[in-house]
Amino acid sequence: MELNKDLADYAVEYGKSLHVDYIEARIVNSRDESYSTRNGQILGAGITPTSGIGIRVLNKGSVGFTSTAKLNRNSIEDAVKNAIKYANANNRKNPIIFSEEKAIQTKWSVPFKIRFEDVPIEEKQKLLADIDAELKKEFKKDLPNRIILMNLNSENKYIVNSDGSCIESELYLPTFHTFNTAKGKNGTEQRFFGRGATAGWEWFSENNLLEGIMNDNRSLIKTAKNAIEMKLGKIDVIVSSEVAGIMAHENVGHPAESDRILGREGAQAGESFYLDLLKEDEIGKIKMGNPEVTIIDDPTMPGSSGFYLYDDECVKAQPRELIKNGMLNELLLNREFAARYDLKSNASARAITYDREPIVRMANTYFKPGSFTLDEMIEDIKEGMYMKSFTEWNIDDRRFQSKYVGLECYIIKDGKITDQMIKRPVLELTTFGILGSVDAVSKDFEAPHGICGKCDPMQGVPVWMGGGQVRMRNIKLGGN
Amino acid sequence: MGKFEDLLKNTVDFTLKQGVEEVIARYNQGIDYQIRFSNSMIDIMKRWENDKLELFLVKDQKTTQIEIRSPKMPLIEERILHTVKFLEHLPKNPFYSGMEMEKKPYQKIEGLFDSRIKTFPDKATDNVNAVINTSLEAGAKKVAGVLYFGQNNTELLTSHNIGGNYDDSYYRMTVRSFVDGESSGQDIVCGRNLSNIEKKFNISAENSGKLAVMAVGGKQGIGGTYDVILSPTVAANVFGEITSGANPLLVMLGMSPVSDSIGKKIAPDNLSIEDNALVGDGLGSRPFDVEGKPSLQTPIIENGLLKSFIQNTSTGKNYGCQSTANSEFVGLGIGSKMLAPSPSNMVYKSGDYSLDEIIAESKKPTIYITSNWYTRFTNQLEGIFSTIPRDGLFLIENGEIVKPVRKLRLADNLLRMMSNITAIGKDVKQIAWWEVPTPTFLPTIKVADCNITAATK
Repeated sequence: MELNKDLADYAVEYGKSLHVDYIEARIVNSRDESYSTRNGQILGAGITPTSGIGIRVLNKGSVGFTSTAKLNRNSIEDAVKNAIKYANANNRKNPIIFSEEKAIQTKWSVPFKIRFEDVPIEEKQKLLADIDAELKKEFKKDLPNRIILMNLNSENKYIVNSDGSCIESELYLPTFHTFNTAKGKNGTEQRFFGRGATAGWEWFSENNLLEGIMNDNRSLIKTAKNAIEMKLGKIDVIVSSEVAGIMAHENVGHPAESDRILGREGAQAGESFYLDLLKEDEIGKIKMGNPEVTIIDDPTMPGSSGFYLYDDECVKAQPRELIKNGMLNELLLNREFAARYDLKSNASARAITYDREPIVRMANTYFKPGSFTLDEMIEDIKEGMYMKSFTEWNIDDRRFQSKYVGLECYIIKDGKITDQMIKRPVLELTTFGILGSVDAVSKDFEAPHGICGKCDPMQGVPVWMGGGQVRMRNIKLGGN
Repeated sequence: MGKFEDLLKNTVDFTLKQGVEEVIARYNQGIDYQIRFSNSMIDIMKRWENDKLELFLVKDQKTTQIEIRSPKMPLIEERILHTVKFLEHLPKNPFYSGMEMEKKPYQKIEGLFDSRIKTFPDKATDNVNAVINTSLEAGAKKVAGVLYFGQNNTELLTSHNIGGNYDDSYYRMTVRSFVDGESSGQDIVCGRNLSNIEKKFNISAENSGKLAVMAVGGKQGIGGTYDVILSPTVAANVFGEITSGANPLLVMLGMSPVSDSIGKKIAPDNLSIEDNALVGDGLGSRPFDVEGKPSLQTPIIENGLLKSFIQNTSTGKNYGCQSTANSEFVGLGIGSKMLAPSPSNMVYKSGDYSLDEIIAESKKPTIYITSNWYTRFTNQLEGIFSTIPRDGLFLIENGEIVKPVRKLRLADNLLRMMSNITAIGKDVKQIAWWEVPTPTFLPTIKVADCNITAATK
């Protein structure tokens, strides 16, 4: 279906004719094709195209948002008038201001070779069936429950605003998840595994997905069979890129979201402990951890799940160095909150569908790789643990008290990783506890895919979370 | 039937002409609103037009589900033709074994629609500003929250000539008050009946503000074994993980902690919970499910015994029982949906105690958790989880709240907790919010000997 850019242009022109202070229109054609199986048998399959337009206005210091799937001029006029009406009804004491940004007119696209819709349906089902068959063949009764989910999302989007920007984009996002249950001597272990990218269908053949899934399930079964509960004292811990990535995302990315810091997510995703830090000192002068810690959020990583070149407020994307050498260095800003800090936006505004407002989000968050090999990080550990993967995790809504439960975890003894696996070890640490314990980051890089949840109604945006592997000293395992 | 009768009939007829054997067509039209507020001001007011047709198609035991927004007949026909072609490429769905075939009368649910919703948008921002002021008067320094409201018309027709229509309206507000960054309180009010709505909102705002004041001065708590008192908000989330598992779909996915517990004692005698789609004020209420089967009341836990799972026609056949009229289009987070059981409202039988009595009888060290978020699992089959208290969290000793505490985590086992329930309150209220997707009517619940943890560094 052709993207009706004229309607979005009309929405902005119509808003301007009503003398609104600011208006933006975001028209989106998206297509989701999905397949799910359980133990090789199809659970669900479908193709869902969606088209619609979201209208956001800023008028007299207040914001209104409307959306409609009725793509005709009468409906657009109603949507614009209602957005202005609801903005005007808000009666705010302190006006909302958007930062001034350069007007941009451009197009961008995710590089891709094969469109999802050009691939036969049977080939897509075969991919799932083949993966399940391999899992069944190798693991048999050790893996009694196998759930596979594949979603192929494509999106054409056109954003235009009354500041003179208009940006058209084309995006392809394949994602693949498994949720499997392994049986061991003393019960079961479960694992949610996800991979994703911005690419066309070629991504499945160019990124050895099968090998990744097989290795992940080997680990799951090995853990179910061999891991034992152990009481350990204070030890050194190395976490893999997967675990380091979720820490970077949860303990550093989320609290750096400016809308949280300034309270807008107060009743939903919560606020941020950065609020207290920024009362005491300014950005650049606040120590968050050891100098080995640099954490970056970068939407411009080619092929990443969180890839974009311009955000949903038409601001050019850029890497954000959230923590630099242990110091708080940058926040995630959209236009509303950049203005509050008297800064420019760093292009952090994302909306997951046409009927959601753009809000401050991460893209791809990672520990910047250091100079060590994994062996070098291990060699001077006398007693420690290597956490390769995790299951349960959570963090308080100010993003300070986190918990990560290990899945595939090994004892490190006298500079070597042993075969001894630990069952469900718990890292229950504060953000300072993590960042202040890091003394080495490996030079390798890996970044699994994830869906970041925030906002109400929920907006789950695709992200990568990873980086180098990270060593933390003197950690007391917690939890149960 | 209602105003979409012709469109639904034409849709079903056209689909059957394409060789499809069974069809469900559901039209949903309405308007939803949201007002978000923080820092004691409204941040944004939103309006969504809801205008969609959902279809479920069955041919040669192959199934698929689609959604068409802003549906008109030419577009519907185009999408059906495309979908029928797609369906032909699919394998048979072994999990589908039929839908409701018999048309039966529907029970009218009093209170499903309140006509005052039509004028509600005009005064909603005033209501929110009144909520903010009430919370501030109760001692809060800043107030955040969200108010949803709206009205919808739902009309259903299946290829078995079963269908009906109904209107519903709703409101749902969460108000969270802060005295400082770490001293906060939250309250939830939701339902369909707009009588005395300003009063309901303001009571909620006052509760939230008072909790925030009570939380001032809290210090890091100490991990250990405590009895816990779960507010309705927290209990709905925690025990909702068990009742949501009383569903063949969750069992099949490996996500149910009660997969083999039917007929077993999993809770004390005084705990009874039913799935009930017929409660007037329930946000999950509807006269029929998506197959057109008239809604029912289904005991999930009866006197502590896991009595039954919710079912639709297909899962009921597999389990050798009848559908409980819980059929719905259910997604797995991404992509298209399937026809599967889904809960309506969970309704707990009221207990005997007031909150004050539960507190007064708590002689051992007890933690009172008023709100929580971020519940995650190490193992869903085993029910091993943790969740994070947020907002007012209090230590009780010798029957009295002695101080607010902070930065603790409830890390335990769902099944162990349910079997350790020691008191059920009589303060039943409806909970539905971010962390509680299934509307749940329940009171305060006390659980003995729970594991509370804190960060080690």
